[in-house]
Amino acid sequence: MTVSRYFHAVLFAASLALAICSAPALAQKLGPDGAPNPTASSVQEQQLLNELSRIEGRIDIPDRKAAVLIQPAGRMWDYFHEVLLHWGAAIVILGTLLLLGVAYIALGRLPIKEGRSGLKLARFKAIERFSHWLTATSFVLLGLTGLNITFGKILLLPVVGPEAFTAVSEVSKYIHNFVSFAFVVGLVLIAVIFVKDNFFQRVDIEWVKQGGGFIASKHAPAGRFNLGEKLVFWLSLGAGLAISVSGFLLLFPFSVTDIFGMQIAQVVHSAVAVLFIALILGHIYIGTLGMEGAFEAMGTGEVDLNWAKEHHDRWAEEQIAKGNGPKSPLATPAE
Amino acid sequence: MARMKFLCDADRCIDCNACVTACKNENEVPWGINRRRVVTINDGKPGERSVSMACMHCTDAPCAAVCPVECIYPTEDGVVLHSKDLCIGCGYCFYACPFGAPQYPKVGNFGSRGKMDKCTYCAGGGGQEEAGSAAEFEKYGSNRFGEGKLPLCAEMCSTKSLLAGDGEIIAQIYKERVLKRGYGSGAWGWLTAYHETISV
Amino acid sequence: MLVKKSDHAHSLGTFAADLSSLPSGEMGRRTFLKRAGVAAGALSAVGTLPLGVRRAEGGPPPAPGATVETRKNVCTHCSVGCSVIAKVSSGVWIGQEPVYDSPINRGSHCCKGAAVRDDVLSQRRLRYPVKLVDGKWVRLSWDQAVEEIGDKLLAIREKSGPDSVYWLGSAKFTNEAAYLNRKLAAFWGTNNSDHQARICHSTTVTGVANTWGYGAMTNSYNDIRNSKTILVMGGNPAEAHPVSLQHILEGKELNRANMIVVDPRMTRTAAHATEYVRVRPGTHIATIYGMLWHIFQNGWEDKEFLSQRVYGVDDVRKEVAKWTPSEVERVTGLPEAQVRHVAETFAMQKPSTLIWAMGQTQFSTGTANVRASCLLLLATGNVGYAGAGANIFRGHTNVQGATDLGLDVTTLPLYYGLAEEAWRHWCRVWEVDYEWMKSRFPSKTLMEAPGIPSTRWFDATLLPKDQVSQPDTLQAMFVMGHGVNTITRMPEAVRGIEKLELLVVCDPYPTAWSVLSERKDGTYLLPACTSFEMDGSRTASNRSLQWGEKIVNPVFESQNDYDTMYRFAVKFGFADLMFKNIKVENGKVSAEDILREINRGGWSTGYCGQSPERLKAHMRNQAKFDLVTMRAPIDDPEVGGDYYGLPWPCWGTPELKHPGTPILYNTNLAVKDGGGTFRARFGVERVVKRKATVNGQEVETEDHDNLLAEGSYSAGSEIQDGYPEFTLGVLKKLGWDKDLTPDELAVIQRVNPAKPDTVSWSTDLSGGIQRVAIAHGCSPYGNGKARMIAWNLPDPIPVHREPIYTPRPDLVSSYPTLPDARQFRVPNVGFSVQKAAVDNGISKQFPLILSSGRLVEYEGGGEETRSNKWLAELKQEMYVEINVADAGERGIKDGSWVWVFGPESQSKARMKALVTERVGKGLAWMPYHFAGWYEGDDRRSHYPKGADPFVLGESVNTLTTYGYDPATGMQEPKATLCQIQVA
Repeated sequence: MTVSRYFHAVLFAASLALAICSAPALAQKLGPDGAPNPTASSVQEQQLLNELSRIEGRIDIPDRKAAVLIQPAGRMWDYFHEVLLHWGAAIVILGTLLLLGVAYIALGRLPIKEGRSGLKLARFKAIERFSHWLTATSFVLLGLTGLNITFGKILLLPVVGPEAFTAVSEVSKYIHNFVSFAFVVGLVLIAVIFVKDNFFQRVDIEWVKQGGGFIASKHAPAGRFNLGEKLVFWLSLGAGLAISVSGFLLLFPFSVTDIFGMQIAQVVHSAVAVLFIALILGHIYIGTLGMEGAFEAMGTGEVDLNWAKEHHDRWAEEQIAKGNGPKSPLATPAE
Repeated sequence: MARMKFLCDADRCIDCNACVTACKNENEVPWGINRRRVVTINDGKPGERSVSMACMHCTDAPCAAVCPVECIYPTEDGVVLHSKDLCIGCGYCFYACPFGAPQYPKVGNFGSRGKMDKCTYCAGGGGQEEAGSAAEFEKYGSNRFGEGKLPLCAEMCSTKSLLAGDGEIIAQIYKERVLKRGYGSGAWGWLTAYHETISV
Repeated sequence: MLVKKSDHAHSLGTFAADLSSLPSGEMGRRTFLKRAGVAAGALSAVGTLPLGVRRAEGGPPPAPGATVETRKNVCTHCSVGCSVIAKVSSGVWIGQEPVYDSPINRGSHCCKGAAVRDDVLSQRRLRYPVKLVDGKWVRLSWDQAVEEIGDKLLAIREKSGPDSVYWLGSAKFTNEAAYLNRKLAAFWGTNNSDHQARICHSTTVTGVANTWGYGAMTNSYNDIRNSKTILVMGGNPAEAHPVSLQHILEGKELNRANMIVVDPRMTRTAAHATEYVRVRPGTHIATIYGMLWHIFQNGWEDKEFLSQRVYGVDDVRKEVAKWTPSEVERVTGLPEAQVRHVAETFAMQKPSTLIWAMGQTQFSTGTANVRASCLLLLATGNVGYAGAGANIFRGHTNVQGATDLGLDVTTLPLYYGLAEEAWRHWCRVWEVDYEWMKSRFPSKTLMEAPGIPSTRWFDATLLPKDQVSQPDTLQAMFVMGHGVNTITRMPEAVRGIEKLELLVVCDPYPTAWSVLSERKDGTYLLPACTSFEMDGSRTASNRSLQWGEKIVNPVFESQNDYDTMYRFAVKFGFADLMFKNIKVENGKVSAEDILREINRGGWSTGYCGQSPERLKAHMRNQAKFDLVTMRAPIDDPEVGGDYYGLPWPCWGTPELKHPGTPILYNTNLAVKDGGGTFRARFGVERVVKRKATVNGQEVETEDHDNLLAEGSYSAGSEIQDGYPEFTLGVLKKLGWDKDLTPDELAVIQRVNPAKPDTVSWSTDLSGGIQRVAIAHGCSPYGNGKARMIAWNLPDPIPVHREPIYTPRPDLVSSYPTLPDARQFRVPNVGFSVQKAAVDNGISKQFPLILSSGRLVEYEGGGEETRSNKWLAELKQEMYVEINVADAGERGIKDGSWVWVFGPESQSKARMKALVTERVGKGLAWMPYHFAGWYEGDDRRSHYPKGADPFVLGESVNTLTTYGYDPATGMQEPKATLCQIQVA
């Protein structure tokens, strides 16, 4: 990293914290007779840049953003995008994958301790699964296309060549733009459907104390969702909200905000996206590779009774008490 | 190799917009695309200065750095060109550009913002088209540079405020002016664009 | 999708097709074009383009293998005279190149000059003749149009007399067209022939000519490079004459010159000043007298200059003595220190030049204003030198030339006036019988009476017959290249248009004339071509003539002015007489021949030496002329020793090879090298009765004041003192008549066989008298004093008078306007209007001063420039500038809609507010180029289909008011009153 790059990084951080306005101070110089001397009073570029983070003035064409004459923050955004984001995203995403790999090697697949009972408990209704998979599919598409726009030129472009890469990128851009709506719809559905089961409860404390089910000797109690899932829910909701709001700002550039706002929106969008990807990677791991019997919940909507008792004992008891308990395996074969 | 730059001497600029229409005329730039513009700082107050701005053809051009499809690149002369065949209209270059240079034919994103358009230093396009051809003109505009001419905006500047040409030469012209007249509000944009300024 | 940025006119669909996409600016193309109705307009234009009409085409690069020619013409948008190089391929104008060779613009342009290609290619041009039939535009052929219009005009002439037809010409005419237009009016039999100079510099011409002989810029744009002090009072050249700023700013830098801008607005020019003085509009004379007070008080005046070359300074001293610093501050608001400092700088740091434009001229005191400026220049000895002088910036390409060539109600071409001698002179040049010419007019009195100024055409239409001093009121307007929206009191103009029997507008664009009223019939629009589509010369503000080559053939069915006027002359039956010495082939008139005819008659102003051949040689050799002196090296075979464009006066015949006069009245040069003296225009002496005290007794003496120069003469003059203008008689007295050739003597004899001795330098068609005078080092027009007292003007010495609608009614009792009177065939009741305004407390109801001015993007009435797609984009809305404090009081935000109300005719206008500190508190300012809206009503649908300009807006002159300069009929749009409120 060169010194100037470092300088930019510092400035960039500073500019994030700064509200920007454009009312350059006027140092009017007067002649001997008290009349203004416009030549001597003239604004100086360097002085303006020292006082403000950008230089803005009046322009008569209707394009308001054209009134910004110089915004050195563009270079800082470049630094964020090409240095911080590339390194940050690489570290976070690859780090997460590495962590999960280590977890798999160390813990292996968490089995259903009691073994499968053969009895099924309905866990997710069709609409619930639809919401999940709508969001999940959009997320994957958005994530991949998003990663393409960030890393494609490093990873894919050298492989497929510029023309093909542009074609791919153009398509991915359309995908990213249009799938965003599906993602938001899924997100809203998930929020509405699952919010009631995701409020924190006393049992969650116990769940933590019992090691969240990762310690084989202990039993971690949980309701329909355990604390880990609740955290995924709330973090996803928060990240989803941030990424949607920032995304729509980017989708309708300059309709709400100015250049500084657009840069911030892009920074938020990409930074949150990276963290979101990491979170979801963890989520996917637990739901598939990491735990036996978990995937069925979203796959078929039914889980094995033993799995339910092991991971969501309170919920399983409630369901049975309500008469929603498992039917005879003969009446409804599992698969 | 000469390094092409722009320099707007704000103490000469009178906001006459000759650079703007010269650009439109030479490159047949359509309504709504403003490759060059003049912004007035401190409008109406003693001390007001107007500055003509377009793509500055930056050193380490940030637009080129952030372009996700790498369609923007500097030529040997320091002119920053791009290929409209590769551009996907993502708009990143506008966020990175310190000078508001990139322009898009469309505003929303339903469909696309269209291919980015910007000042080419009247040097044609960065695509595959033959230099000086009608195909190149259709996409990018004029290729005066190929004929050994400078951008028309600077050539037609009413007060010789806007200078184009080799960076060292125009810096020298500016320096001499400031020495002669005793004032100068700075080589606007140079520090940001070229990591240097003209000290007098 | 690849988006073409090409917007070629040849792919007409492109522009329309682009509309389906959204623009990059939030309110850019989409909103604007939708509002402007461009989508519908452009598409329908394509749809209705009739077969056989040549489409305007453009856009580089040329087809493979096609040759590219370059042609040189002159930008039409102001008076600087920037050369334009056009690249033409296959008859299509494909691009512009900078003209580095031109000493005037050195490659530069402003936004208008850099966009002139679209003046020609614009899709918004009028394509073919149309007329209104029951409120609808109907196409007709040229032949049919000339026939119908001609019949109607002849019927009006029969019924009401020739004076009922008004010939309104244009400052965008070439010299040749302007001359032809004046000649046409003369042959028609009227002096109702005017053009834009009426509303821009008529007061300058009258005021300045009455001071030192000629009413034009004394020096040149280039010469400002020599100035040490540049005082701009009443001008904003950065926006109105941008390329002049190249000379001004370079001069300012090289000489570290003082640049002082005195203006009500902090303009783009003021931004580059070393001192900015904000002044109240309409107080020019008070400001100048305030300066002169300090100058006389401190002895800063140039005493030698005053005694040798100026008449009447003592009377001026008396008037100036009244303007003590406290009185100046009371009237102008300027503190003593500022006035004193500006005065001292101007008087002591010489050479000093005074630059002005319409900020001095457009007042009811316009003539007196510019006279006051002249007094300042004379008192400080700043006339007739490099770097000094009255640098009067004119507004259009050829407003100087059109003025010179007599598109003026008070004179025939080249300031000969309207007296019998003048008519006889031009009849000799035209080779027509004076008696026949007289028979064209209702009477000799009307033949010699000034016509109606363009500012009053609607009054002459609307007033009762007995109030207009001619046989009948105006019945027909024949307008060639003049907007209606640049003239004040538009509500009256709208009524005037409605009352006219016939309205003919011959212009590349329909102009606001065609849409303002609810007229249903009797309106014809004829498509004129632009000056780029015709040959001819133009006179820039510095008096240089430049020959423009036709770049492309007239597009669509448009036709050049010469040919149009020829057609009408044929229709009127006097074409053979009128074009007796002008070649016409297949209806195509030779511009060169017209200029040769001008040369043969233009002695008075030195339009005699600029033959088409010499002018063309100058255009070929532009690079040879010096940037500062504008002179070519003496040894050049083609243009050796000439000043660029042979600035008038260019004495004698072309063969004399006079180099032109770059600086008027410059005694440091010999006349043959472009030097000169003040013109002895006002006689040799003035008899004045004065009261004097002799031996304690008051007696009346009769003084014979010498009006000739004393001890001052131009370099190489054989008469080393003042002398009168040259006639054959004067030559004989000096014994110089022997130098005349027999041929010259024969011509002089023919001019006035009865009294050849009275034949003068200005009526001698041989040029012999001029030649001989110059050979002896003398100015043909004599060597006189400049007049500080112009005894023939309403105010012989300028007097401060408040504007008709003044924000300071308290000052009206001390400084009222002149009494009501009849001028130019109509009444001028300014005094009554001013009194009524004071009595009715108008300044309380309308507390803001309203002033107007120019934008860099547009010109004049603006139809042409608002139809230019590159210019129109830059200023898309009409607006009013209002000070932050005034806006705050009214709850007006920057960019919001407001209604502006005027004090007359219950006028109102709707526009955007631009809240800014450019204007001081109490001042509102508007650009004057907009039209197409009237009192909130968008008139776009009234334009002929597809010929509506891109940008429309309210006209400031909807709000402007009564007020006319008594000497010239100049209007007063620079100072009236208004009120503004949120819309």
